[in-house]
Parts: sequence; structure tokens; C-alpha cells
Amino acid sequence: MHELTWGLPVILYLFLGGLGAGAGAVSASVLLRSGGGDQAGLGFKIARCGALIAPIPVILGTGLIVLELGTFQAGNWFRFINLFKVINLSPMSIGSWVLGLFIMVSLVYAYTFLKADPHPGDDRHQLRKLSAWAMVILGVGVALYTGILLGAMPARPFWNSPILAMLFLVSALSTGVAVILLGRSVFGKHVDKEGKTTSDAYLLASSDMLLIGFEILVIFLFIMYSHLTIGSVKVAMGVILGGELTTLFWFGFVFLGLLLPILIELKYVIPTLLFQKQYEIPRSMEVLVSVLVLIGGFLLRYVVVIAGQITGSIGI
Amino acid sequence: MSESKQQVSRRDFIKKMATGSAAVATTTVSSVALPAEKNKRYAMVIDTRRCVGCQACSVACKTENDVPLGETRNWVEYIEKGEFPNVRRSFLPRLCNHCEDPQCVSVCPTGATYKRKEDGIVVVDSDVCIGCKYCIQACPYGMRFINPKTGTADKCDFCLHRVEKGLVPSCVNTCQGRARIFGDLNDPQSEVSQLVATNATTVLRPEMGTGPMVFYIDADHTDERDAEKQGIYVRIDTHRRQQKRV
Repeated sequence: MHELTWGLPVILYLFLGGLGAGAGAVSASVLLRSGGGDQAGLGFKIARCGALIAPIPVILGTGLIVLELGTFQAGNWFRFINLFKVINLSPMSIGSWVLGLFIMVSLVYAYTFLKADPHPGDDRHQLRKLSAWAMVILGVGVALYTGILLGAMPARPFWNSPILAMLFLVSALSTGVAVILLGRSVFGKHVDKEGKTTSDAYLLASSDMLLIGFEILVIFLFIMYSHLTIGSVKVAMGVILGGELTTLFWFGFVFLGLLLPILIELKYVIPTLLFQKQYEIPRSMEVLVSVLVLIGGFLLRYVVVIAGQITGSIGI
Repeated sequence: MSESKQQVSRRDFIKKMATGSAAVATTTVSSVALPAEKNKRYAMVIDTRRCVGCQACSVACKTENDVPLGETRNWVEYIEKGEFPNVRRSFLPRLCNHCEDPQCVSVCPTGATYKRKEDGIVVVDSDVCIGCKYCIQACPYGMRFINPKTGTADKCDFCLHRVEKGLVPSCVNTCQGRARIFGDLNDPQSEVSQLVATNATTVLRPEMGTGPMVFYIDADHTDERDAEKQGIYVRIDTHRRQQKRV
């Protein structure tokens, strides 16, 4: 029906930007959670992993949206600088500034971990703690703005919901946790001989489970309110409630990206959560859960960005 | 014709200058501040009863503004409905609504698109625009496109280059049925003000709250969904690359 003005680069940007912002915010909050960043140990290791990952997807995604700019495609490569000549109340303007700040701070934050043996109290520790505070705020800011960006337009009834930004934020944090889990699972040296990870991923797995739980609730509210309304919003929501994106949304995002990972995580987290047993999860399961969450995060952006553009106001 | 108009406007200009200097003189004497020249609020009234769907406005717009092939700033939709003998065919000329509360302006991150204070025309500064396409998403009327030559957002600007010289937009100038009337809503004597006051007018998608400045007389707002509810046949030709209404 409508043309896809924003294509795969924007979808990938929303996914990668959320992923990196989530990983950065999670890493920084885990760091600060360990005695304000002063305790060595597990929290510091998790923070290091997240800090080293965070800038990469965000910079990659930002590169992709520059490619999508009309002026870039027309050969005017540096026109995007105009974004940083003004600031106004457009979500994209505020978002660009927040994104620019996030990239700079995340590079500084990653730099504080980029040394032979980073530990609390080393020469970059003050900078690390300082940038961690900024990372929490900026990470949440970037993740939130990607949702506000889409939600700001009454002309796009699928997107024009106050809860879309919340959905993107929770999804960003969840994919951020998942990418840290995946990184530690693949590159970590904490696996014992039987191929089981020791208890150190419990914090991440349980937070991921909680975040997915919240995401399911937000998705429920998103769909329930559209179901309770009439007019353009209801027609637009029809795209995922019987329309052409139904399977991708319900099977791809809700089942593969939310329900399956939360069920697997419940199986391994419940014994520790309820009965204080030692947390054990096979490496394969950990990888599977993280990959599923990441696929879910991408499919959410994909379905939302496409659905918003193939629907519009009804009537003329 | 434009020569004679220019002469008229030059004469007008001199007259205005004289009045202006007189006003300044009065101000200095009485020290009462006269209001500065009132801002204009340009609007268009489209009387669809007078439109024959000849697309002269679409063509005039393309030539006047050098609109690239495949893109349209201005077009006429054909609406056919009913079964013989109970039928109606009507035409819906479309252009930028130059809204009072333009969504494209509120989302523009660079300030490249803005509503001019002096006349209410919504314009795009193609030297500032980065081509992010946010405004294309935000416009409830699908009026905007990316100009393939410049890579920036493009749309109808009420032929600002003509209006600034006291001429009417090209589509209005060419309309043989006088279906399009252009003028200043702030001037109660203007033809648009009189038409808006004496006719039942509608705007497109009023529920969007954008406050369009293009008013239609006797426009058929039927779309496929309405027709389905009414159980009648309808066919809508948009006559643009986007076959369906955006």
C-alpha cells in the first residue's frame, strides 16, 4: 500500500543502536552496582565485557542510517553534519545529540577497560566510574529515543503509541544483556570441564528473564489498547492481528524471541531463584537463549518499522 | 501578461511607499504605533464542482517547478463510484495543505522545513535538508518525496517564487475552470475569504489536527472502506507513482 521510505538500514540501526545502548547501560549499571565500581570480581568482569561490546553495534548502526540519508545517496556525503548545527524539539534532533554523546562516552568507557589487566583502582578507574554514570543515562536515552522517534507521528497510527518507546527500551536492555551473555559464553574462560558454566552468569540470566517478562507485559498492553480502540489504529494493528505480518510477529518475535527464551531461562533460573541452588546452565543453552533474544529484538524492529509504513490514516 | 502585472505591481509598490512614508510621518507626530503590515495567511480554495480533471495543474506544476520524472507535487485524483445509472465521477486535486500545525515541521531535525511567519507557506530549504525522510513519514497527506537530484525533501511551496512577485501559483494560473482560487485568508476582501465564508468547505483528514489551509468545496471524501460499508462500487485513480492514496 505505502512505500517503504525507511528500509533495512533503519531497521538494522534501530536494532543495533538499541543493542549497543542496552549493553552499555547494563554494563555500566553492573559496574556501579559493585560498590560504586570499586569492587573487583564478577560485576567488574561483566561490565568489562559489556563496555567492550557497546560502541561497536551503535557505531555500525549509525553508519547505516547515514547511508540511508537522501543527501548521502545523492552524493552530498557530509550533509548530515547539519544535524549538529542546531538542536530543536524534533525527536531526531535530540536523539542525534544523545547518540553522538553516547558514542563518544562509550568509546571513553571502553578505553578504560582496554588494557592488559584492568582492575578497580588502576590509573583509569576514576574515568571509568565517571563515564559509567553517564553511560547509564545516555544508554537509556538512546534506547528510549529510538521508540520516541517512531512514536512521534499521528500520521503513522501503528507507531503513534506512548508505549512503543517503553517497548523499545525494554527490548534494548534485554538484547543488551543477551549480547553480553553471548560474548561471555563464546569468549569466556569460565566454563568447567563438563561444559557447564559456573554461577557467574546468574545475574545476567535472571535480569534477562525479568526484562523479557516486562517485554511480554508491554507487548500485551500495546496490543490490548489497539484492540480496544477504533479507527486508524485498529486498522493498522490488523497487520499483526491477522494481516500480512502476523506470522512474523507472533511466531518470530513473540514465540521465538520472547516465550522460548524465557521458558528456557526459567528452567535454569528457578532452582537458584527459589531454592538457592548453584546456578548451572549448559553453554549451548546459554548461546541458544542469547541468540533467540537477539533474533527477537531484530524481528521486533523489523515488524514495527514495516507495519508502521504499510499502514496509515483511513479516509481522506 | 506578466509584463502588465509587473507594471501594476510596480505602481502598487510606489503607492505603498507613499502611504508608508505618510504612515511613518503620522507615527512620529502622534507617537501612536501603527500595526506593522499584517502577516498574510495564504490559502487555497478548490471548488471541485468546477474541476474537469484535465490535469493542466499537474502539468503546469511539473514544468514550473521542474519536478523530476516519477514524482509529483500536485496531482488530481479521479473518484468513480456507483453503478449505472446511479453514478458519480468527481475529481480531487491534491497539493500540500500548508497546515497551520504542520507535522513535517515539528519532526524536522535540522529546521530545514518551516512555516513562514510572513505568509504561512511551508517551505523546505534544500541547502539545509539532510534527506532523513522523517517529514515524509510524518505528513498525513503523503505530499513529500525525496528529490532524486538533490536527495532532499521536496513538495509544493505554493509557487513561492511566483507568489513573492505578486503572481498566483502556477496551478491556479493555468486552471481553465477556475476551480483553484488562491489568496490571503487574513484579507476579508480576498476571494478565498469570501468563498470560505459563503460555502460549506471541508479539509482533508481533519482528525489529524493539522489545520489544512487548502479548503475544498463539494469534495468527495469517499474511499474504499466507506464504499464497502455503503455497498457501492468505487474506483480511485491517484494518477501518481503511488497508485494508492498515502
